[in-house]
Amino acid sequence: METAIRQPTWLSRLNALWAPPAVLDFWLSRLNPLWSSTRTLARVVERRPEAEGVTTLVLQPNRLFRGFRAGQHVNVGVEIDGVRYTRSYSASDMPRADGRIRITVKAVEGGKLGAYLQAIPVGSVLSLGQAFGELSVPDGSAPCLMLAAGSGITPMLSLVNAQAAAGFPQPVRLAYWARTRADLVQAAALRALASRHPNFSVHFVLTGEAAEAGDELEGRIDPRHLATLLPGGEQVHVLACGPHGFVERAREVLGGHDLSFQAEAFSPPPRFVDPSDQGRVRVTLLQSGRTLEVARDKSLLEALEEQGVKPRHGCRMGICNTCSCGKTSGATRALADRSVQHEPTQALRLCIHAAQSDLALEL
Amino acid sequence: MSKIKSRALSPEELNRFGEELDALRARTLATLGQSDADYIRRIVAGVRWLGLGGRVMLMAGAILGGTVLPVLLWPLCILGTVLLGLSKILENMELGHNVMHGQYDWMGDPALQGRTYEWDIVGTSDAWRKTHNYSHHTWTNVRGMDDDIGYGLLRIFPEQRWKPFYLFQPLVAVVFALLFEWGVALQDLRIGRWFAGKMTGGALWKMAKPVVRKIRRQVLKDYVLFPLLAGPFFLPVLLGNIVANVIRNIWTYVIIFCGHFTADAEVFPKDSVRNETRGHWYLRQLRGSSNLTGGRLMDLWSGNLSHQIEHHFYPDIPANRYAAMAVEVREICARYGQNYNAGSLSKQFGSVVWRILRHAFPSKPGRARPLMAAN
Ligand SMILES: Cc1cc2nc3c(=O)[nH]c(=O)nc-3n(C[C@H](O)[C@H](O)[C@H](O)COP(=O)(O)OP(=O)(O)OC[C@H]3O[C@@H](n4cnc5c(N)ncnc54)[C@H](O)[C@@H]3O)c2cc1C
Ligand code: FES
Repeated sequence: METAIRQPTWLSRLNALWAPPAVLDFWLSRLNPLWSSTRTLARVVERRPEAEGVTTLVLQPNRLFRGFRAGQHVNVGVEIDGVRYTRSYSASDMPRADGRIRITVKAVEGGKLGAYLQAIPVGSVLSLGQAFGELSVPDGSAPCLMLAAGSGITPMLSLVNAQAAAGFPQPVRLAYWARTRADLVQAAALRALASRHPNFSVHFVLTGEAAEAGDELEGRIDPRHLATLLPGGEQVHVLACGPHGFVERAREVLGGHDLSFQAEAFSPPPRFVDPSDQGRVRVTLLQSGRTLEVARDKSLLEALEEQGVKPRHGCRMGICNTCSCGKTSGATRALADRSVQHEPTQALRLCIHAAQSDLALEL
Repeated sequence: MSKIKSRALSPEELNRFGEELDALRARTLATLGQSDADYIRRIVAGVRWLGLGGRVMLMAGAILGGTVLPVLLWPLCILGTVLLGLSKILENMELGHNVMHGQYDWMGDPALQGRTYEWDIVGTSDAWRKTHNYSHHTWTNVRGMDDDIGYGLLRIFPEQRWKPFYLFQPLVAVVFALLFEWGVALQDLRIGRWFAGKMTGGALWKMAKPVVRKIRRQVLKDYVLFPLLAGPFFLPVLLGNIVANVIRNIWTYVIIFCGHFTADAEVFPKDSVRNETRGHWYLRQLRGSSNLTGGRLMDLWSGNLSHQIEHHFYPDIPANRYAAMAVEVREICARYGQNYNAGSLSKQFGSVVWRILRHAFPSKPGRARPLMAAN
């Protein structure tokens, strides 16, 4: 299965001579777009609308995918107008016998992938990263309180389904914030589970509509909600997932009630960055494990050299590509036209870009 | 030397010249998208299918020709060799050379990343990225800095000091063409420095290791493994592979020599690049480069080095854009009174051959022509 991490044997070396991975993958992809000797790929086998601007996709990964646990996320890559974009999505169901993975995607206004995936044709092939993330229901008998807001519901769905399959060995209480009822994902399925399992309860908390049903509450997360969710004031394991602000607020509100607190913030990276070129930002060099502060008003190459780092380089004017390195997060500014690049890239030319926000570089 | 075809520009003109070319660059970058991605993937497919076709024909010719249908031996083997040669040409030029410049890095496709792409030739991509992408492109035709001027073997410009060795250069040039990929492989090692005692054997070996590994790979693949597949009929396959590599060598040599060694191409002294401005850099690229006419077919099979001028202005812009950019570049050059050096393959290569013959013998440079007018 895991050809990618197997030690090269003389046989695989011989194979690489006949057909290096690039050549082999070309022919494999002609036979079946999902086949590859090096890349984890997945085919969209099902697409269905879930709620207002929310779509669920079922993905069939190829054999290089090593599977996932409930509560984990995967990076999904899609090519739009020739450019590949990658975003993280949580599995929205527990692992299945057929190896497929379900994700549930919300369209974010002005966003790239969220909107694109709403209408992606069934049969399309995406690139898929290996699963990551530590969110899980702690073992033991203590109750678990799950707090989800917006698309933060997705890993909770996966965890709840896994608990349901095990017959809810410990109490699980889910509170799910959304603006309106139309925004709710899988509300009927959650209600059905709650009516069948005494160990599971669900509350829907609406911020843009009045509560009507008995399991509905209203308003942004605050201590009042706790009285309903934890009537006995008992100690619980907390799992919180949603936009950055929601997770922070949940932490404050729950202080003292939590046996443990696991959180995952889903906000896309902040797009606003100081438009001036003053000041300094933090740059993390992933390969050497260093973190340093660099100036924003000059090329990254110069700024790094000032700090004693010597990135490889040639022309220092953007033509030879010698200085290019991967950027996994953060925004840069092209010195020529001041345009700002937010997307991660495998090839950032350090000599013609300045740091705009904090960065992580593959150096 | 040829008559003066370009006028010297004032510093202000030079600035505006640079700005106009930068603006064209920005306009083009803003429109990169699906069609460019589709283009380079079509090229990848072309390389693979031609390669497969070539190898299958060679194998079929060798085996069928050696057993039941001797009449097929020559036609199939020749066809197979030509297809394989074309596959290698396309891979080296339109795919490898352009991808290694980082022209398609913006796509984020791991198979088309400039820093990691490895091409089908005995030279390593890493050495190429250094000698070509950096030294040659930054210091184009600057004596002592661009190792591509005559590749340390040939005297192409009268500005290079004459030595008796150059009397043999017409012969050397032919051998160099046949073995061009080996020249490229060894270029960065500077074996001459070791001969001259300026480099220790240990240092040479350290540099040579990856080169030796790559050479071993290529030799095993083309000259051992694939011929062995044909069993007792290995000989035609072996010969086909050798000839395909030589065809590619000659063609790439011709195209590359036409890029910078034609009659109107100029070389520059080292001090001309001190504190070089953007406009000055563009102008030096223009004066040191020459294009080939010949339309879409020439563009494809030369890896768009038929647009050597545009390639040197914009080495990181996808080469499939050069033809469209050339229209504007030509117009800008005309407005600034600059010669846009373009000609047919026979005319340009003819002038290269003339240079090789002429400068085998002692020759004196003409008066240096300044790029920039004095204030
Ligand atoms: C671990 C993890 C799990 C996740 N799980 C899920 C999930 O299960 N379901 C889900 O729907 N999402 C999930 N997300 C969020 C998801 O990864 C994406 O962030 C989300 O889909 C938005 O991506 P996008 O491409 O649509 O938007 P982007 O293109 O990233 O845009 C994001 C925001 O930035 C704004 N913006 C874009 N470009 C600019 C610009 N140039 N200048 C200023 N503003 C700009 C947009 O208007 C938008 O509001 C998860 C995130 C993480 C980190
Ligand atoms: S150093 Fe040449 S592109 Fe940056």
